[in-house]
Amino acid sequence: MVDYKTKATSLYANANFVPSQRLHLFTTLSYHKSTAEYDPVEMPDITDKLEGDLTHQDFSFDHMHEYSNHDFGSVNLALGFGYLIAAQTTFTFDLEYADLTDDSGTAGTDPYYVYGDESGSWYMIRSGLKFDF
Amino acid sequence: MKSKLTIFSIGLLLLLAASFSVAQSEETVDKYSLWLGGYYADSSDYAKKAGEYRLLENAGELVPSFKFGWQSLRPNSSFDLDVDYLDEENIVGRMTSRIGDRYNFDVQYRSLSRQLQQDLLTNMETREAGGGKILTHDLMDAGADYSYHRREILSKVSLLLQRDNNVRFTASHRSILKSGEEQAIASNHCLSCHLTSKSQELESSTHQFQAGIDAEVSKYDVGYQFGFRMYESHVPAPSAYYDEAKHPVNGGSGVEFAPRQLYDDTTLAFSAQPKTEKMSHKLRLKGDLGKGKFAGSLSYSRSENKYSELTSNAWVGAFNYAVTMNPQTRFIARLTGVRREADDPFIDVRDYRVGRTTPSYLQSNFDYERQSSLDRADGKITAEVIRRLNPKMTLSVLAGYNRVDRYSYPDSDDNLVSGTFIGQAKLNYRKGLKYRSSFKYRFEKTSDPFNTFKGLFEERGREILTRNVSASPFFFIFYWEREALKYQNITTEPTDLHEFAWKSTWRPTLKTSVNLGLNAKFDKNGDLDSLDVKHSSFQPHLSLTTAPNPKWSFTAGLTLNSSKSRGPVTVALFDG
Repeated sequence: MVDYKTKATSLYANANFVPSQRLHLFTTLSYHKSTAEYDPVEMPDITDKLEGDLTHQDFSFDHMHEYSNHDFGSVNLALGFGYLIAAQTTFTFDLEYADLTDDSGTAGTDPYYVYGDESGSWYMIRSGLKFDF
Repeated sequence: MKSKLTIFSIGLLLLLAASFSVAQSEETVDKYSLWLGGYYADSSDYAKKAGEYRLLENAGELVPSFKFGWQSLRPNSSFDLDVDYLDEENIVGRMTSRIGDRYNFDVQYRSLSRQLQQDLLTNMETREAGGGKILTHDLMDAGADYSYHRREILSKVSLLLQRDNNVRFTASHRSILKSGEEQAIASNHCLSCHLTSKSQELESSTHQFQAGIDAEVSKYDVGYQFGFRMYESHVPAPSAYYDEAKHPVNGGSGVEFAPRQLYDDTTLAFSAQPKTEKMSHKLRLKGDLGKGKFAGSLSYSRSENKYSELTSNAWVGAFNYAVTMNPQTRFIARLTGVRREADDPFIDVRDYRVGRTTPSYLQSNFDYERQSSLDRADGKITAEVIRRLNPKMTLSVLAGYNRVDRYSYPDSDDNLVSGTFIGQAKLNYRKGLKYRSSFKYRFEKTSDPFNTFKGLFEERGREILTRNVSASPFFFIFYWEREALKYQNITTEPTDLHEFAWKSTWRPTLKTSVNLGLNAKFDKNGDLDSLDVKHSSFQPHLSLTTAPNPKWSFTAGLTLNSSKSRGPVTVALFDG
């Protein structure tokens, strides 16, 4: 019998600020950390219950509990503003950023989950003009 | 071509609805907004996780996009249209139209792209010490870039046909279309365990349609609804070569190993998608009964896999009755029943060593009829009393019983009957607008929860794993004999479950609120003689919302989720 433990922590903050009738600012920041792991698997010693020569088998399974390890940390940021540059015309700017760090393994003897190292980041800047009429 | 037809159909619907609304000759207020711009996106390292729901092929390019909004208001009608076009695969659109209470129409289009990852299969590589049995893998499409485009179309219409009896027709539709490429993994048999991975084209559609009519007849509300749902893949299943049967170490004995396989040395389709259809009818009735009110429904549904011709049928009935016993006390009774039957497929397996000279004591036929665990008669009854203890506190107490009879499971002569007693108490407290809190405790005690019979373990306590199911003179156990040695039922379903939920809201000012709560759950199964299955989880949460002045608004929160499961871990023996 083995324990499988998962932990997930989420933090978020969101703010909107309207300093004037022309300007509107907003931002959202979130952080998420999730881990999952098995306790080490201690397989019973069955050598005295075997008939025949199975000494070529390896029943230790020392690293089996590491196959399903997860350890991700991710940061997501969104911020932007809208500025009324003329009557019925607003300039907008939005930034989205996502970064994920995969601490579930290494490239060596402690392998990552089945997809390999998933660490990476992505960002997007979206901007334009809004016309109201 | 189909996607173009879909987009054209949506456009036509929008145009018709818009024309219908605009055609009204009432005084109107129209507002339009148009956003024109574009986006630039890029990524570093492995972007398929961080940018899972983004169209990564546009990275490093400037992509034009737009938004459009149109709001039209009249004294007795309204029309709204919003479109957000990010790129060719990420589009959100919604149109709603209303004329008084006679006509409502709502159509939505949601389109997104999703990145899929590739299982590298690196943990599928091992070999016994001494060059024995082997497990290998081959990525036939190493470095493949899997993703799909998901489009969803939803529409809903409501028409008041006759006002006196409030006769109303409603219809809704939902389509989900997926296209792209995903990973498919074929598994060779265990004499030479070998996994092969390749790309598989993805082109599937799900369509769901519902239509019904509701009316007031005498003092009762009656209704009928018809439903239809279908799923289909529009591409052929991928195919894979299945290895030639042979001894995993010396490569010989093919003629001996081949008849132990259902197939070998051949190319066959795998990962085939079903074509399913589901049809349903539902009747509803509600009204006054004695001093209380009742609501009941009866439905029938039939599902079929059109390729395998396997079907399942279900009758579902529900009845609720609520009555106010006195100004402080309310009583609610709920009764539900489900009768479900599913076809039992016949599993045709090659005989052991078919075609080979086989002693009589080794001749075995493995064919069987797989009894469906979906077959069941499920009945549940609950009774709840809600009582206001004083102006600040309300207490509700619920008791119930759920009986599930899985007839014909695990064998045609068996029936597994599970019984669950349910007890629940909930206390609500409110102190003006400043503070409110609730606490709930729920307990479930189950006898004989669902399990897979004899799914695991050979007999416990055996000093030597000797065979006892064959009269053969061989000293070893044949792999198929081990099935009869299994004895342990497996389940993750609990016999005892405890749930706690507490949540509290504090409003120090009209502009600020603080929420604090905790959900906790613990369950275990005490009926498994050699397994110790239990689960626990804790979810505290805290949030703050404040708007100190008209210029500022702020929200923040923290959520923790900690869970632990305890269960068995087993390892397949190569020599099995």
